[in-house]
Amino acid sequence: MSDPLRAQLKQLIVRTLKLDDLQPEDIGDDDPLIGSGLNLDSIDALELVVTLEKEFGIKISSSEESRAALASVAHLADFVRSRAPADRVA
Amino acid sequence: MPSAPFSPPPIRLTATGCLTALGDAASTHAALLSHQRALQLHPVLGRDGGDSVPLALLPQRSLDETAPPNWLAHLDTLGAQIPAADWGSSRLPVFVTSSNFGVGSLYAFQRTRDPAHLASGTPFASVDRIRQHFGWGANVSILSHACVSAHLGLLLATRTLHAGLADRALVFTFDFVSPFVAGGFHALKILNSGFPAPYAARDTGSIGLGDGAAFAVLEHPDASPSAPNTFLLHAQSLYNEMHHFTANRADGSGFAACLEPVAAAARDQRLWIKGHGTGTLEAGRLEAETLAHLFPAAPLVSWKGSLGHTLGSCGLVELALAVESLRDGRVPGTIGSEPPFFRDNVAAEPFSTAAFDAVLLTSNAFGGAHAATLLNPD
Amino acid sequence: MLHRHIVALRTDAPGAEDLAATRERLRDAFPRNATRRMTQLGLLLGGVLHDLAPTENDTVVYASVYGETRALEDYLTSFPTPSPTLFQTSIHPSGIQQVLIARQQPIRQFFPHTGQRHLLAHAVQSALLSPSPRTLLCGGEERGTWLLEHDAASGDTFAFALALSSDSANALGSLRLEQTTAAESALEAELRLPRFFSALVQREPLSLPAAPGLILTLSWN
Repeated sequence: MSDPLRAQLKQLIVRTLKLDDLQPEDIGDDDPLIGSGLNLDSIDALELVVTLEKEFGIKISSSEESRAALASVAHLADFVRSRAPADRVA
Repeated sequence: MPSAPFSPPPIRLTATGCLTALGDAASTHAALLSHQRALQLHPVLGRDGGDSVPLALLPQRSLDETAPPNWLAHLDTLGAQIPAADWGSSRLPVFVTSSNFGVGSLYAFQRTRDPAHLASGTPFASVDRIRQHFGWGANVSILSHACVSAHLGLLLATRTLHAGLADRALVFTFDFVSPFVAGGFHALKILNSGFPAPYAARDTGSIGLGDGAAFAVLEHPDASPSAPNTFLLHAQSLYNEMHHFTANRADGSGFAACLEPVAAAARDQRLWIKGHGTGTLEAGRLEAETLAHLFPAAPLVSWKGSLGHTLGSCGLVELALAVESLRDGRVPGTIGSEPPFFRDNVAAEPFSTAAFDAVLLTSNAFGGAHAATLLNPD
Repeated sequence: MLHRHIVALRTDAPGAEDLAATRERLRDAFPRNATRRMTQLGLLLGGVLHDLAPTENDTVVYASVYGETRALEDYLTSFPTPSPTLFQTSIHPSGIQQVLIARQQPIRQFFPHTGQRHLLAHAVQSALLSPSPRTLLCGGEERGTWLLEHDAASGDTFAFALALSSDSANALGSLRLEQTTAAESALEAELRLPRFFSALVQREPLSLPAAPGLILTLSWN
């Protein structure tokens, strides 16, 4: 069964970073987001963090924490679930 | 002495001074020797609140801009130290460098829609305010390259003097913190609730931001010295990695490319090093490792753990403090940092300059920009 | 007197062309996927520098009055949740950095100037003082939106790049800068970036006080 939060995160990634050549469903749950895989960089990661903080009411306090949270969509979903208020998460 | 590629011949430094949250160069130097930290927690967006982050603002200066800018009057104490001359005339050019210029005013305009802020919002408008405030002529060049800006001003002033186009040159730099720049670094997650600990091997990197302004007067070394107790900028080196906006090449080759020519120029000299050391982890590690490799006997200090990163002005603010250290005979240590460090070249405590011949001053910037200047007593 | 030969010249003035159209038009000047975050000014600068092929031992001198205006506008309006991408992009000299980072091309000597009335003269002076065998003098602006309404942005979008050399082979023209102690019309001496750009496009010769104490001569072969 697909995870609605993971699907939401994939849409958010494509929309926030203006990845016009990519469909959300093309992003694998375990694909590395930074570096290889999607080849996003640290600035992309930080831009995603801004969106995630607004969308889910979470707080990411450092660049090191950003990198860890954004290892993959699966990682990110777990991170969001662990930090966000229950009413902010699908 | 062999020269760095494209490094101009030596140039004489006859006067320098700075303004930080701890005062002028002498006051700042004394405060650093006593481990005083200028950084204090402020809301990142000023009156609009936000997370608390470490900033070092001039006394009684608010993060929120006024019209005219609230930093302008503060420059008077610095301006009073500049040797009197017809600065900005044909033979006495001024080189102004900054990273922020008047962006605080642009932010204030965006927030308040008060058009009075626009009179200082663009780089040329903010510099023209300063020019008129000090009564300089119109011969004012403006350079802006983030945190290596001041080094560029020194190098271009040097070339101008050596080309015979000037008798003396004034290099002036200013950078004042605003929600514009604090918000930006906070969004980059490196200006956070932690205080900077330059070169410390920690889990989380943190920087602070600080107000800074400084000046330097340069003249040709063959001219009769216009002042006593002068110094020489013996070598000046630049390099731009153009690898990534916010990251360096992982092998440290960018740092090495800038520093190796200066290492050659400094051969046989006993050096201490005023590094960049903002408190970030990866760049701090690469910097400390490269400096330890190229200058194994040189103690490394950074003062940004106290003053914060004064951005475009840092190269000249910290040059003024290095000169103060040479005159005083004592170098402040790396405030805010404790072992373990990335390498054992980091000096946490003050030390005497007696055992050293020269100081190497380095700065780094976005885009993998690097600058290094070798300073000797004249 | 300082002097260099102009051995290559590229200009681009896209008029009302929007960012997407510029990105499409110039995409072959960049590695694949490199243009996603680039500004219009960055794209134009990449276009004019493309076949000049900057190398590490070139000096690059860059001149822009307003820099990355639309990134600046958008960054300011992104508060109270400022965008890290727009912050980064809005900082001078982002335009050139976008291009050279896309190419992964290091440059040893890079001098980004700003200013207004005397910007071009001082940028030319930096270029002519460079000891490099070749200097690339480039610059440009992008048209603003809400900042333009308040006279804090350029009304035009354009970019240029000149390759300067001491070698006269295949020279298109030359740039000279001469110091004068004439009691200058210091207040009137100026050469603004759009005027210089126009002279480049038209191959128009210029000889005028471009800054206090500096006579700039642009001539064509």
